[in-house]
Amino acid sequence: MTGTLEVVVVGAMQLVAVFALAPLLTGIMRKVKARTQKRIGASVLQPYYELSKLWAKDEVVSDHASWIFRSTPWIVAIATITAALFIPVFVPFSPFTSAGDVLLVIGLLALARFFTMLAGIDTGSAFGGIGTSREMMMSSLIEPGLFLTIFVVSLTLGGTDLTSLVGAAAAKFGVVIAPSMLFGLIAFFIIILAETGRLPFDNPATHLELTMVHEAMVLEYSGRSLALIEWSQAAKQLILLGLLANLFLPLGMPTSSAAGLLPLGLGSLAALAKVVLLSAIVAYAETRVAKWRVFRVADLLTVAIASAMVGMIFFYLQ
Amino acid sequence: MQVPLPTLLTLTAVALLLSTFGVVVRRGFAGWLSAYRYQSVILAGSAAVIAYETGFWEIYVAAVLTLVVKAVIIPRLLVRVTESVRDEFKIEANPFVSIRLSLLISALLVALSYGLIRETLSSASLGVFAVAYLPVSLSLFFIGLFVMVSRRMALNQVVGLLVIENGLFLFTTALTQGVSLIIEVGILADILVGVMISALLLLRMSQTFDSFDIASLENLKDD
Repeated sequence: MTGTLEVVVVGAMQLVAVFALAPLLTGIMRKVKARTQKRIGASVLQPYYELSKLWAKDEVVSDHASWIFRSTPWIVAIATITAALFIPVFVPFSPFTSAGDVLLVIGLLALARFFTMLAGIDTGSAFGGIGTSREMMMSSLIEPGLFLTIFVVSLTLGGTDLTSLVGAAAAKFGVVIAPSMLFGLIAFFIIILAETGRLPFDNPATHLELTMVHEAMVLEYSGRSLALIEWSQAAKQLILLGLLANLFLPLGMPTSSAAGLLPLGLGSLAALAKVVLLSAIVAYAETRVAKWRVFRVADLLTVAIASAMVGMIFFYLQ
Repeated sequence: MQVPLPTLLTLTAVALLLSTFGVVVRRGFAGWLSAYRYQSVILAGSAAVIAYETGFWEIYVAAVLTLVVKAVIIPRLLVRVTESVRDEFKIEANPFVSIRLSLLISALLVALSYGLIRETLSSASLGVFAVAYLPVSLSLFFIGLFVMVSRRMALNQVVGLLVIENGLFLFTTALTQGVSLIIEVGILADILVGVMISALLLLRMSQTFDSFDIASLENLKDD
C-alpha cells in the first residue's frame, strides 16, 4: 500500500464511498430524529429515492436567471468532489496530499458556499435574498472560527497537511486528550452544526418558512440541479463528520497507509461506525433545541471562536 | 480502566472553564443558575479527585458539602426567593458589554490568568494540583468579577459573586490541599447566608423600585 497508484485507487474508492453513503447518513439522521420524537419516520433509504426522483424530473429555470444560476449546482458538486479527494474519511491518508492541505479544503467549501449565495440572489426572488444575507452573516463568523480551530489542530498535531495530521492523531491512540484539542473539538462541533445547517442554526426539515437559511437559497432549484445540490450537501456533512472523527477521536484508525490491508479495512469500518454514531448524536441534539433567532446564532458561533481561542492559549501555555 | 491523573485534572479544568463560559453566555436567570450548578458539581468532583490523591478525608467532606450547598441548596433558594419577581427582570436584555464581546473578553481573561500564574510562580515548586487548577481558579475569579461589573441586572451580580467564591474554593483546595474543615464549613455557611441576604435585598429592590437595573441606582444620588 505504498505505491502511488494504489494510494490514488484507494482515494478514488473512498470518494465513491463518500458519495454513495452520504444520502444514507442523511437518512439515518432523519430516522434517529423521527424516533426520538416518537414518530416512525421514513425509511433510511428515503434520500436515495428522493435523489433518483429529482434526477429524473424536468428542470424549471426562471427567465431572469443568468449562467451563475445554471452552473452553480455543478460548481458546488465539483468543489465538494475535489474536497472529498483531499480529506481522509475512511482511510488515514489523503490521496493527493502533495497537491493541497486543509486550507485548500476550507477554500473549496467556501467556493461552494459563495456560488450558492450568488445563485440565491441571482433569480431576484425575495426568499433567496433573505437566505443569502443570513448565510453571509453566519459564514463571516463561521470562517474565523473554522480557521482558529484548524490552527489549534495544526499546532497541536503539527502541520496543515491532512495525511500527517490524521497520522499524528492516530499515533496517540484512542482519544486525543490535550486541553487545546478538547477546546478545538467543541469549536469544531459547533462549526459543523453551522456549516451543515443543522438546528439551532438552520432547520433542515423546513420548506417555505421564514426562518430557513440554506433552503431559502436553493428554493428556486428543481430537478437535477436540486439533486446535485442536496447530494453535495449530504456529502459535505459526511466529510466534515469524518474529519471530526479522524482528528479528535482516532480510535481504531491505523497510523499510516503502510499498515496493510486488514488494519486499513478495520479502520474504515471503525470510521464508518464513528461517523454514524456522531450523526446520531447530532440528530439527537437537534431534538433537544429549537431554531434560534437569527441574531442569537452569532452568540453560539462566538462560543466556537472563544473556545478555539482558549484552545490556542492552552497550546502555548502548556 | 485507569485514567491517568494529569488527564483527569485536564478534563476537570476544561469542564470548569466551559461551565464558566456558560454563565457568561446565557441570557436568563435559569440559564445562569444551571451553568452555576454544573460548575459546582464539577468543582465537587475535582475536590474529590484531590481528596482521593492526597488521602485527606476533610477534603471529601468539603466536596460533599460543596455538592449539597452549592449545587442543590443555593440554586433552589435563589429560585424560591425570586419566584415572585417578574420574568422580564430575570433576563439580561441590555448589558454594559455585549454578550459576544464579554465571551471573547472571558477567553482573554483565561489567557491572562494562565500567563500570570506562569510568570509569578515557578511550576517546579507547586504540586500537580496547583499547576492544573490555580490558573483555572484565577480565571473563575476574573470572569466572575467581569460578569459582576459588566451586567445590569442585579441577579447577575449574585451569580458573579458565586462564581468568584467557587474560584476561591478551588484556589485554597488546589494550593494547600484545603484549609481546616471548620473554616470550610464557616465559609459555606457564610456564602449561604450571604446569598439569602442578597436574595432578600433583591426582592425588596424589585418591590420598591420595580426594577433590577443597577444602572438606575445612580439616580438615587443627591445632586
